[in-house]
Amino acid sequence: MMQTALELRNLSKTYHIRAGGGLFPAVNTLHAVRGVSLILPRNKILGLVGESGSGKSTTGLMALRLLEPTGGQILVGGADITGLDHKALKPFRRKMQVVFQDSYSALDPMMTLAQIVAEPLHIHGLGSAREQTDQALDWLVRVGLDRSYGSRYPHELSGGQRQRVAIARALILRPDVLVADEPTSALDVSVKAQIINLLQDLQAEMGLSILFISHDLSVVRSLTDSVAVMLAGRIVEQAPTEAIFADPQHIYTRSLLDAIPALNPKDRQRRSFISPAQIEAGTPRYSAAALGIPPSDVPGLVQVSPDHLVEAVVTP
Amino acid sequence: MTLPRPRRVALGAGTSQTPEIPLMRLLDIQNLTVSFSQHGGLVQAVRGMTLHIDQGESLGIIGESGSGKSVTCMAALRLLREPPARITADRMVLADVDVLKARGAELAQLRGKAAAMIFQDPMTAFDPSFTIGHQIVETILAHRSARKAEARSEALGLLARVEIKNPAAVLDSYPHQLSGGMLQRAMIAMALSCRPKILFADEPTTALDVTVQAQILQLIKDVQIEFGMGLVMVTHDLGVIAETVDRVLVMYGGRVMEQAPVQDLFDTPAHPYTVALLASIPGRTGGRRRLTEIPGASPNPANPPTGCPFHPRCPVAVARCSQDTPVLRSTAPGRDVACWRAE
Amino acid sequence: MIRYILKRAVSILLTFVTVSVIVFLMMHAVPGGPFDGNDMPVSKEVRDKLMASLGLDKPLYVQYFKYMWGVFHFDFGVPFQSPGETVLQLLARAWPPSLILGGLGVVIGATIGILLGIAAALRRNSWIDYIASTLATLGLTIPVFVISMMLILMFAVFLGWLPAKGWDKPNSWYLPIAAYAMIPMATYARYTRSAMLDVLNKPFVTVLRAKGLSERRIIFQHVLRNAALPMVAVFLPMFIGTATGSIFVEAMFRVPGLGAYFVSSITLRDYPLEMALILMITMMFCLAYLLTDIVYALLNPRIRFGGKS
Repeated sequence: MMQTALELRNLSKTYHIRAGGGLFPAVNTLHAVRGVSLILPRNKILGLVGESGSGKSTTGLMALRLLEPTGGQILVGGADITGLDHKALKPFRRKMQVVFQDSYSALDPMMTLAQIVAEPLHIHGLGSAREQTDQALDWLVRVGLDRSYGSRYPHELSGGQRQRVAIARALILRPDVLVADEPTSALDVSVKAQIINLLQDLQAEMGLSILFISHDLSVVRSLTDSVAVMLAGRIVEQAPTEAIFADPQHIYTRSLLDAIPALNPKDRQRRSFISPAQIEAGTPRYSAAALGIPPSDVPGLVQVSPDHLVEAVVTP
Repeated sequence: MTLPRPRRVALGAGTSQTPEIPLMRLLDIQNLTVSFSQHGGLVQAVRGMTLHIDQGESLGIIGESGSGKSVTCMAALRLLREPPARITADRMVLADVDVLKARGAELAQLRGKAAAMIFQDPMTAFDPSFTIGHQIVETILAHRSARKAEARSEALGLLARVEIKNPAAVLDSYPHQLSGGMLQRAMIAMALSCRPKILFADEPTTALDVTVQAQILQLIKDVQIEFGMGLVMVTHDLGVIAETVDRVLVMYGGRVMEQAPVQDLFDTPAHPYTVALLASIPGRTGGRRRLTEIPGASPNPANPPTGCPFHPRCPVAVARCSQDTPVLRSTAPGRDVACWRAE
Repeated sequence: MIRYILKRAVSILLTFVTVSVIVFLMMHAVPGGPFDGNDMPVSKEVRDKLMASLGLDKPLYVQYFKYMWGVFHFDFGVPFQSPGETVLQLLARAWPPSLILGGLGVVIGATIGILLGIAAALRRNSWIDYIASTLATLGLTIPVFVISMMLILMFAVFLGWLPAKGWDKPNSWYLPIAAYAMIPMATYARYTRSAMLDVLNKPFVTVLRAKGLSERRIIFQHVLRNAALPMVAVFLPMFIGTATGSIFVEAMFRVPGLGAYFVSSITLRDYPLEMALILMITMMFCLAYLLTDIVYALLNPRIRFGGKS
């Protein structure tokens, strides 16, 4: 039986947006995330893929309890942390860390790198000040910088180096779960590979479980064990990474894969694009009628092969 | 000013023109340098860049941030603020005009009409205070005397051409009311409005979603052929290069490392940097795996290394590489490389 | 839009009432009354009689409602320090010089400041930029009374071109207005420069250049229009603020304006005048903010036309 590091059960987030003025304005409801269920197994990397507005980052923030979900549950190592207050949550905070895309705004410009990396130890009161600094310097080395960087400031670093510091700060508490939200999107090609390799190495060494949120399917293919594809706040397909790439089932997954640019000019071709209307219509094979399930139960995920889930659709 | 020589060249596949017609040289840049004075120091963004492009041709410039690829395009249209920017070149001729000597009205006529440009982030590329229609119409009227109604109906046609489904509504929309993909289409329509001879596209799809990105690339390719324009595609993404251009310039540390027809570059990269870049692309094969990485970081443009800018990260560098700067030399027809070690 | 303005009118009324209550209570919470001063010792009986004649012996809430009832009929009472006229008559007499001094000072200062700011932004790091920023720094750091004194010394004492005080002759207006214009000029110059630079550094300005528009069109149609947005939000309320605070300048140049009454109404416990002055300023600020919001909405398509379609 595979151990679960992080589980999301039917998680949703709804925003109410006031439309217009007056004492009683109309309220529009925006379903940013609707009923997302996910399992991140221990010691694995799960890719959460989608375009802007798909709700993937919102899901990541909710998993960390950095954003309150409207409904559903979050389980860390089997423990439900959904309703915990600030104090009860603190031990779980240690187990879950995050790395963002824009490491420049995530690092305090007034602190040295040693202070930045040591800060989580300081917050959780682990070790003396000297030990904290020592550990921080060790971590700088571990992410590929050297100890001399400890006295530098964020603005002296390149984008790739800053991302290394952000990773060191996230991992110094030895968390079980790392949520990485587009950590390589702002980086140059040659540096992107460095950071992906670093994440791979640290994941293997530490037995980390990573929720890797990205819009970049090529990176996801190189890094993850399994993939969940999000569209308009819901998961439409979920499968082991190779299955997704070799045998995409949902029409939206197919349109995402079709959009990846050729890796060699000789594979250039005139593209025909799948329209949003076609995507909305869904995959006929998985219609409620074809699967013999009552329409009231859909949309939901159905299993099409071991570990491969696809969303069933209402329309035939 | 020397006039461009008409040449007879067979056109590659993918252009709509009949082969064997005299071609016009649209852009000819020789030994371009661009530097910025900053905090008392001098940042050398471009250090001796040579490129040319002919009618109907598409050239890709690939490089990482700080390689000087965008600055080269901005310099070609004199869009950099001077000072702090300082531009020198042995020759910089755009559509028969010496760009370095052009002033005021002459420069304004060059921009938009001879050469148009589309930018990375469509969300910030339009003036938020005016409608899309207003901004396309003012571009047309800046270069041609026409009645406003004529310009407006032309803008409508252009928006339809870039596959916007409800062009009339988009014409009267403000930028904040449209999506990124829609705005980039409108941007392309605006760039086409004065029938430019050459189109600069500076990372035109980087800020867009994956599916939208593919559609915009297809659109740029289509209109390039339809309008018979020269295309300069500036990108950090080898995928974009593989999809769109005939010829590629690889830039690093403000210099050209290699120049080659696109297929040759992917099949037989000559410069060690190109080799490393191609190897580091993620997702080439299936399965979780470590990627081939290029160690180290891009050179600091305020203090570039001596010799070849890539030598500190180069797996095959020798002593000479850190002392002498390799010059771009031809290794085969249409192929140049700047490396002491390359065959 | 009309709906919006009506909504705002209601909220202005609420603000107005809230301010009046707070000020009324604070005024009366301060120890002492109009007849407690040492300059006019009166016996307790006389004082009580005087207080009763002015209605000051009644409970506070009665006084308040009586006063507000008057206010809504444009009756602001009689100033204690000048019982020969009503508060409205006093305002009508003393306000015009203040209004002219403040209004002209702000308009002239703001105009020069905005022009300086634009020029400084367009010619960054040139001599005009340095002159503008030097003037702005001087205007903000040197106190008004020092500037006033320097102007008097220069133009009245040494050169003898202009009178040092008064308000009756047209040429006596120059110096106070000049002194008064310094602060708005400095503030507006700095703010305009930074608002202009902010827009000039936006990517869309590069796009406008790349389209081949003339520099003149780019500046006057696009950059100024966008720079005006943040400027409007700050300028109108600032305008009111400066147009009412001319106390120092009026004192320096002996202008018979409203300035002196701001101080005397408080020290002399002249409740009717104090209330009237504060309510007047409150009303002007409320109207200025309303006007700001309307102009802002007219300039900004995001507010005019809402979000994504």
